[in-house]
Amino acid sequence: MGGRVQNKESVRLTLPGGFGPECLQEEWDVDIHPQESQTLAFWDTFEWGLWFGGHILYSSGGAYHLCAREGGWLGAALCEERAGTRRRFWRDFETGAMRARLERMLGLRGLAPVAEGTFRLRRCDVRNSVGKIVCRLEWSSVSAGKRRDEDLLHSCRVLPLFGYEAETARVVEHLVRRGARTSGDGPVETLLRHVGRVPRKYTLRPVFGLEMDTPAREALGRIVCAILEIAERNVPGIVNDLDTEFLHDYRICLRKARSVLSLVKDVYPAEDTRRMRKILGDLARQTNRLRDLDVYLLARDEYMGLLPPVLRPALEGMFRDFSTEREREVRRTVSKMRAASTRRLLREVAEYFSPETHHEPSPAAGLPVGALVFRRIYKRYLKIRGIAAGIGAETPDEAVHRLRIECKRLRYLMEFFAELFPKEEGAEMLRLLRRLQNRLGEFNDALVQQRSLMNYWEQKRSGSKIALGVGGLVAVLYRRQQQARGLIDEALEGFCGGSTAAAFKHTFKQPVSN
Amino acid sequence: MKILSSYSIKGGVGKTALAVNLAFALREAGRRTLLLDLDPQGAATFYFRVASAEKFRMRDADSLAEGLRRNIRESDFPGLDIIPSNLGYRHFDILLDGMAKRRKQLRKVLEEFKPDYDVILMDCPPNITLLSENVFRASDAILVPVIPTVLSRRTLDQLAGFFRDEDLPDGMLRPFFSMVQKRNRMHREIMDDLPVSYPGFLKTVIPFSADVEKMGLHRMPLLAYSHASTAAMAYRALCGEILSLAGP
Repeated sequence: MGGRVQNKESVRLTLPGGFGPECLQEEWDVDIHPQESQTLAFWDTFEWGLWFGGHILYSSGGAYHLCAREGGWLGAALCEERAGTRRRFWRDFETGAMRARLERMLGLRGLAPVAEGTFRLRRCDVRNSVGKIVCRLEWSSVSAGKRRDEDLLHSCRVLPLFGYEAETARVVEHLVRRGARTSGDGPVETLLRHVGRVPRKYTLRPVFGLEMDTPAREALGRIVCAILEIAERNVPGIVNDLDTEFLHDYRICLRKARSVLSLVKDVYPAEDTRRMRKILGDLARQTNRLRDLDVYLLARDEYMGLLPPVLRPALEGMFRDFSTEREREVRRTVSKMRAASTRRLLREVAEYFSPETHHEPSPAAGLPVGALVFRRIYKRYLKIRGIAAGIGAETPDEAVHRLRIECKRLRYLMEFFAELFPKEEGAEMLRLLRRLQNRLGEFNDALVQQRSLMNYWEQKRSGSKIALGVGGLVAVLYRRQQQARGLIDEALEGFCGGSTAAAFKHTFKQPVSN
Repeated sequence: MKILSSYSIKGGVGKTALAVNLAFALREAGRRTLLLDLDPQGAATFYFRVASAEKFRMRDADSLAEGLRRNIRESDFPGLDIIPSNLGYRHFDILLDGMAKRRKQLRKVLEEFKPDYDVILMDCPPNITLLSENVFRASDAILVPVIPTVLSRRTLDQLAGFFRDEDLPDGMLRPFFSMVQKRNRMHREIMDDLPVSYPGFLKTVIPFSADVEKMGLHRMPLLAYSHASTAAMAYRALCGEILSLAGP
């Protein structure tokens, strides 16, 4: 057991305006120190990775400070780093402590400013009858922006000195009698709310609120609208090129929306469905090259690690080319996305699926979505089993590719309609599917990367040095592809084996009907 | 964690002034410090404006540790805590006498505070008892203020004799000159002569200062209200010398 029990819990109070620490002077001696004022700029990612990871990052006076988050309050300072220039990714930070903490919470995400506020602080010491300090106070107010504006919140943090908890409790009681509250948003949360940046969880898998008997057209409309809304939210991040995840998620959304339309047929008129799918496909295609380049550049360290040090410089030139091309490609993509024609197409899809739009009748529009989708899921599962049965060591890569596409479709279906089937069984089926997809993905990535490296080399016909690097990399990737191929069988067994098949049958097989 | 004690058989030599100001200097130097006031007179406790410790029953080492822990008070200076004095400490001897390995119990109790402090500094009562012997065996260094007078020299010799008789390592004894008046000829002579017989004698000298005596009025360490006075600088230098001896 330790000596001094570290239980220095501070008490945080929100205060009505118009009273200061002077009110304690009726009972205690209070030393009030001169007011300090500081403007803090708060940073977080699009997904609020820091906030939901329990942290707050702010910059002030040329330094970044990472703190714990305690509700809507700034908690304990954890680390800081002086910085002359703006930091965006965790890699841009230099101190080890900062990098380690941020890497976990930021991943590939970039930091953007979320709010700026001015904090005014008066520190006070509260003394007992013999002049001993029993607690300290941090009496503060916050306003938005840099200037002394309207105060948004007055608050007070009471820090007991160890061994004086009882006396501190009396101080808190005194403040509560004067109207202080132990609940309520803290200063940082209040500031964020004021500037309209309330942290909210971001997900690519929203809840659509579906029931088994929701009419199919209503269900699909809801799904497509929700997914397109997420796609829209990602557009500003792509236009500002804040990080690579915006484009990645935008593309996933387009692909998912496109996919759901073909997975559940006859819900909308066939001609309309074709048009919507074409638009979504075209929109995604605009961004293909940029995504490819992002993938190569993100894999830079990994690629370098695959080669012996002597060959690594040979690849530098290739990545330089990719980097230059990316700059060009960003400009092109951004101007495309800003273009009136693109905006119009996105709007057209969104309007088409909005609940107010009237459509021509179609055979499956009014059917209960549950039965319809379950039939689809089960059919697709059987199809995958069929393909899997034909896969052996000699099967051409094309069949493996087909299997991968089928798995992806099944995954989307199951994720869209996950609300409709039992959570636990669904989770296990999805786990096995994900494992299989990962194996297939590793195989496919290795294959695609070899092809694109060869393409690059063929276009460039560059010097022998780059050829050496590319050749080395292709050899390693080929080896990786073979290894991944070897692991697919095992994953297939798990997903297509008896118990999983039984679970699929039990959950999704519908009684025969006409 | 280092355990230091401020000790003298003779009273009025600047023992408590050392404990209070050294504790302050240690936290200034970034060491998390616990001041344990074992002197029933409680002068160090008074200087930090802390009330006497609550009574607690001391049956064995565990209850002693628990009682001390309950009495830890945070001083007004972050990084420095104090366990205030209590008249009950005068029964320490009887308590320790009843324990197995009675001469080493205090060390065992203080080891419990290791996770929270870099230094524990004890202000000890001016006598030689079983408690003093526990203090000697618990400490890494025993700091002994010596006023350069004949009588102080005699008590230092007595203490050294006790260490020899009890097989205590005499390297732990760290005397230093306290309340020195440079113009006093006798002070100068003894200061030239005495350290020759005591290789562990510290080099820093604490001058006599009226500022130190005002601690009772201010009720805080000299270093807190007279930051740059000669005596304050001397305590800081002494702290530096002790830290360089004791390692990090």
